[in-house]
Amino acid sequence: MATLIDKPLEVCKDHYLLKIDIGISLSHPGQFANIKIGKNDPLLRRPFSIFDHKENIIEIIFKVVGKGTEILKNICKAGYLDVIAPLGQGFSITENKNTLLIGGGVGNAPLYYLAKQLKAKNNIVNYLYAARSKDYIFFEDKYRLISNTFYLATDDGSGGRKGTACDISGELAGGSGYDIVYTCGPAIMMAGIVRIFQNPDTRIEVSLENYFGCGIGLCSGCAVETNAGIKRACVDGPAFDGRVIDWGSLLQ
Amino acid sequence: MNTSVKIGSLILKNPVTVASGTAGYGEELSAFVNLAELGAVFTKGLSLEPREGNKGPRIIETSSGVLNSIGLQNVGLKAFLKEKLPFLLSKNAVVIPNIAGHSIDENIELCKILSETEGISALELNVSCPNVEQGGMAFGRDIRTFSKLLRKARKATKGILIVKLSPNVDDVAAFAKAAEDFGADAVSAINTVLGMKIDVKSRKPYFLRKSAGLSGPAIKPIAVRIVYEIFERVNIPIIGLGGISCFEDMLEFIMAGASAVSIGTMNLVNPSVASDCIAKLEEYMVKEKINDINELVGIAHR
Ligand SMILES: Cc1cc2nc3c(=O)[nH]c(=O)nc-3n(C[C@H](O)[C@H](O)[C@H](O)COP(=O)(O)OP(=O)(O)OC[C@H]3O[C@@H](n4cnc5c(N)ncnc54)[C@H](O)[C@@H]3O)c2cc1C
Ligand SMILES: Cc1cc2nc3c(=O)[nH]c(=O)nc-3n(C[C@H](O)[C@H](O)[C@H](O)COP(=O)(O)O)c2cc1C
Ligand code: FES
Repeated sequence: MATLIDKPLEVCKDHYLLKIDIGISLSHPGQFANIKIGKNDPLLRRPFSIFDHKENIIEIIFKVVGKGTEILKNICKAGYLDVIAPLGQGFSITENKNTLLIGGGVGNAPLYYLAKQLKAKNNIVNYLYAARSKDYIFFEDKYRLISNTFYLATDDGSGGRKGTACDISGELAGGSGYDIVYTCGPAIMMAGIVRIFQNPDTRIEVSLENYFGCGIGLCSGCAVETNAGIKRACVDGPAFDGRVIDWGSLLQ
Repeated sequence: MNTSVKIGSLILKNPVTVASGTAGYGEELSAFVNLAELGAVFTKGLSLEPREGNKGPRIIETSSGVLNSIGLQNVGLKAFLKEKLPFLLSKNAVVIPNIAGHSIDENIELCKILSETEGISALELNVSCPNVEQGGMAFGRDIRTFSKLLRKARKATKGILIVKLSPNVDDVAAFAKAAEDFGADAVSAINTVLGMKIDVKSRKPYFLRKSAGLSGPAIKPIAVRIVYEIFERVNIPIIGLGGISCFEDMLEFIMAGASAVSIGTMNLVNPSVASDCIAKLEEYMVKEKINDINELVGIAHR
C-alpha cells in the first residue's frame, strides 16, 4: 500500500513533485510508477517515471496535461494513493564511462535518478537539459550539482542557450567521444538524437513514453515496432536501445 | 456453501474468470492473482500463426471506458502450446483458449487441435472481435455465416464449446439461441461494443481502422441487458461480461442470468480485482445465507 507523503509541490510552471512511500526500497532508473486517479473516470492508471528514490520513498515529477494530472495536482492532503511501482525495465547502468544525458521537458525527470546512479558508478555525467522556456525548468540546481558538465538550453533562449535538444546535441556529437547517450523526451526529439549520434560505438538508450493501457503487460496497447518485432513498451521497456526502435511508426 | 458453477460438464470452482485479451497468457497477471483460485482464465484470441496486431494507436481511454484496436496480436498456436499453456498449467489454472481464426477453416482446425490437447478445459470461439479485417465479428453478425461456422466447430470440438457473442447486432439472443441449437455448451456475452474516436487535432478517426471496441464500466448496462435477454431465450449457461469493476457489478450479471462472469478491462486497472471479487463472494454468501451460488443465477427474472 502506498502513501502520498505530502500534497503536490509546484516545482515550475505546470510541473509538480509528488513524494510517495511505496514500501519498497529498490528500483532502477527508468522504471515507472502507475498511479490510479479517481474511480472509473479517469479509468486507466497514469504512468510516471521515478525522479528519485530514497529508502521507501519515490519522487515523481508530473506535468499537467489533461484530466488525470489536473486531478492529481489538486490533491490537497497526504494519505493513501493507489500506486503500482516500480514497473518496467530501466536503463542500463554502466561503470567508468563517459556518458551524455539528454532530457527534453518533463523527460528530464527519469534522468536525474539515472545521473545519480551513474555518478555513483564512477561515470562522467555530461547533462543536456532542454526545455521550452525558462519557466519550465525544474530543479536546475540539483541537475547542475550531479553533473560533471551541465548544458542548459531553451527553445526561446530565455534560459541557457537558445536551441532545441537536437540543435545542441548536433554540436556535442561533433567532438563526441561519449560511450553512451541516454535520452528521454518527446518521441520526435529522441528520434532526432538517435539520428545525430551515428557513431556505432556510442550506445544510445531512450525511454519511451507512449500511451499505456495497463502498464503491466496485459493488453498490448503500448506496442512499439522494433527491428526484433513488436515489443510492449511497458514490460520490455520503457528503456530501449534507441537504434532498435522503428521511429517512423512511432511518430505517425 | 457451494460457489461452484457448471459450464456444460466443466465445473468451475467459482464463477469468477478473467476475460480474453485482458489477462495475456496469465504470466503477468500471476504477479497479482493466484491463477489457481480463479474459476478460469480465458487467454488472448489465438490464431494458427502468430499475429502482430494493428498498426497505429491501439488503445485510448474514454469516459469510464476504453476503446481498443489491438487486432488480435497473439503468439500463434505453436508458441501457445509450447510456452504459454505449460506455464498456465504449472500454476494450476483452468485454461480456456479464445479461438480467433481468420477463416472458417482456420477456426475449425484450432478447435480440433486445441480440444484434443491435454490440459485445456474448454474452448471459447470468438465470433465477435471488431478489430480485424477478416474473421472476427464478421462471423458473429450474420446469422447464416454464424450457423455455418458453429455447425462445423461443434463437430470439430471434442470437449466444451463456448461461443462469444457480439453485442453489435439487433438481437443478440437470437445468436445465443442459434448457438444452443447447434450444440454449443455455453455462450459468453458480451464482446466489445463498436465505437469510434475522432482526433480533433488531425480531424481524422483516431484509430487507423477507424472504429474500435468499447469496453469497461461504460458498457456495463448494455451487457447486463443483453445477458438478461439471452437468459430468457436459452437454457445453456451464460458467461456474463462487460464492465465488471467490483463484486456488486458481478452480482448484477449473475442475477440477470449469468452462471459465471468474466472480468476484462478492469484487470488492466486493478489486476487483483478478480481475487477481490472471489473474497467478497464468500463473505456475501455467508451474510445473505446463500448456500449455493446457483440459487442467484437469473433470480431477477423471478
Ligand atoms: C513510461 C512513462 C513514463 C512517463 N513519465 C512521466 C513523467 O515522469 N512525468 C510526466 O509528467 N509524464 C510522464 N509520462 C506521461 C504521462 O503518463 C501522461 O502525461 C499522463 O498519463 C497524462 O494523463 P492526463 O490524464 O493528465 O492526460 P489525458 O487527459 O489522458 O490526456 C491529455 C492529452 O495528453 C495526451 N497523452 C496522454 N498520455 C500521453 C502519453 N503517454 N504520451 C503522449 N501523449 C499523451 C492525450 O492524448 C491527450 O491529448 C510518462 C508516460 C510513460 C508511458
Ligand atoms: C485490450 C483488450 C483486448 C481484448 N482482446 C480480446 C480477444 O482477444 N478475444 C476476445 O474474445 N475478446 C477480447 N476482448 C474483449 C473482452 O474479453 C471483453 O469481452 C470486453 O472487453 C468486455 O468486457 P470488459 O468491459 O470487462 O472489458 C478484449 C478487450 C480489451 C479491452
Ligand atoms: S500498456 Fe498494456 S501491455 Fe503495455
